[in-house]
Formats: sequence, C-alpha cells, structure tokens
Amino acid sequence: MHEVSIALSLIDIITAQCRKEGYGRIEAVRVRIGRASGIMPDALAFAFDAIKGDSMASGAVMEIEEVSLTGRCRDCGVEFTSDEEYVLACPACGGASFVMTGGRELDIIDMEVS
Amino acid sequence: MKVKVATKILEANDRIALDNRRLFDQAGVFVINLMSGPGAGKTSLLERTLAQATGLKIGVIEGDIAGTDDAERVERLGAPVVQINTGGACHLDANMIFEVLDDMPLNSLDILFIENVGNLVCPAEFRVGEDMKVMLLSIAEGHDKPLKYPLMFQESSALVLNKIDLAPYTDVDMEKIRRDALSLNPGLKIFEVSCRTGEGIEGWTGWLKEVSGKGFPQP
Repeated sequence: MHEVSIALSLIDIITAQCRKEGYGRIEAVRVRIGRASGIMPDALAFAFDAIKGDSMASGAVMEIEEVSLTGRCRDCGVEFTSDEEYVLACPACGGASFVMTGGRELDIIDMEVS
Repeated sequence: MKVKVATKILEANDRIALDNRRLFDQAGVFVINLMSGPGAGKTSLLERTLAQATGLKIGVIEGDIAGTDDAERVERLGAPVVQINTGGACHLDANMIFEVLDDMPLNSLDILFIENVGNLVCPAEFRVGEDMKVMLLSIAEGHDKPLKYPLMFQESSALVLNKIDLAPYTDVDMEKIRRDALSLNPGLKIFEVSCRTGEGIEGWTGWLKEVSGKGFPQP
C-alpha cells in the first residue's frame, strides 16, 4: 500500500551511497522483499520506475528477490516455510505460539554503479 | 562496479524514530501510537480520556490525510494539539512526527498520544518512536478483523473494543474477537468501552496511569 514511500527511501539510500563511493550513475539495484513485509514486488517496481526520474538511479533496473515466510513453532519445534503472505498458526500442530524467522525483509542487497 | 549496500529500507525511518524516542525520554513523556481503521473512535477515545483522566497532562498529535476536525475536537478540551496532514500518505512516519515536535510542550506532558491515520494496515509497519502501540476496533467493524488484519493486533500492547453499546443491535461475536486477538498476541490487554456512554473508560484510564507510571503523585 505504501510502496511509493518505500521506493523513495530506497532511492535516498542508494543515491547517498553511490555519491559516497564516488560514482555518478546507478545501473542496477538488488533488493530482498519478504512475502510478509506488506510490500508487493510489482507495485514496488512500478513505484521505483515512476519516481526514479532525474536521480542518479534514473536508468537503474531493479531486481527483486522474494523471501518466503519461515517460522519455528515453540510448541512442537517444527521449522516451516510457507508461500502465504501470512501464517496464523503452526502448519504442523495448529498452535499459535511460533516465531517468524523470515519473510519480513525489506533490504537493499547491493547495486551496480558506474 | 558492484557496491554492497546491505541496508534495511526502513532504516532511515527507524533511525529518526530512535531520535524521537530520545527526545521523549529526555522530556519524561510516555508516548502511545494510537491506531485503528477509520471511524473506530480514536478521537472519541481521546476526548473521553481527556475528560476523565484527571491529573494526567495529555498532548495529542493528530494524523489525517486531510482536514483539522480532529485537532479542533481535542483543542476544545484544552489539550495541546498539533495536526499533521499527510496529503495522501496512508500512515504517519517518524519524520512527520519529528517535524512537529517543536510545537509540542513535551516537558510539561505526562502522556503524548499520536493518533495515526485511520487505516488497519500500514500504520503498524512504521515506528514513530512510541513507547507502545494501542489499537481500537469498533465492534460494528465485525469479528473477522483480527484474522484479516493480523499485524496490527500482533504489534499492539492493548486493544480497545469500542461501541459496545451497539452490541445488542449487531450479530458481532465478541468472544471470537477476543479469542482470535489473543491467539495472535497472548499478551494483548483488552478493554471493552463505549465512548458514547462512557462505559468502561475508567478501566482504560486506570491502566494508562499504570503503564505510563504517571498519575500516582508522591504522598
């Protein structure tokens, strides 16, 4: 829902780092988006392309790695992976006492600059 | 040339949230991020709280996409208030809060409420420097909400169920709301109130004094 504000933060971060490293153009950026982050990859890519405008990232291509939701159940000890955006109960025992170990990521991995 | 970035996209927000938190701690003010869908009664709860929690000095930051109605309602009760218009953004972020803190007399407050934009989804994703998140759900919104919008129920320390005076006129299953909310968040504190009649408000304000550590003057 707020992909534009995420895309704005992303551009702020990568242009600042690009400048710091002494380069002027960002060719590509690689991001990691968890399935349970509330951010839709297609909408983020669209927002990024729409606002990269005349920034250092104007020609940049965004590559998105999606991360599945993973968790570990405190009741039965099972470690699970899900393709859902949200897990409400342990898929093995149905218990609600589990910790999410992955799937909430909103990370920038690296970028290609010139 | 490949450059490693390895940064969380929300890191800038989280950093400003920490700055806000430092300012709140220095001023000794307890900060609550108040969230709900539109129309659940956030401003009504603040009106009731201001009217009843005598002894607590409360300030309010109002977040809305547009308009100043909420700030005017709070101002009428004599509380310091600042209105933020997000101009379309679906949530408040840490920087929006930081920018208005100069207009808030933090040092003279016990509790600062940050009334977020009415939205059951996005506000739960953004830290603003609060001590805790509290959410409202009006029972007329339906008992299916905890399982449809789980994150806000998981992130909140307390759930205020408002409009319980409407219970006889709806088919809402209050037990299901409680059960589902507690299965998502076993530590969730639940209050049943009616901001219209005032029922249950005392329990809420009593808890506010307890968690904020305010309102117990030394003998």
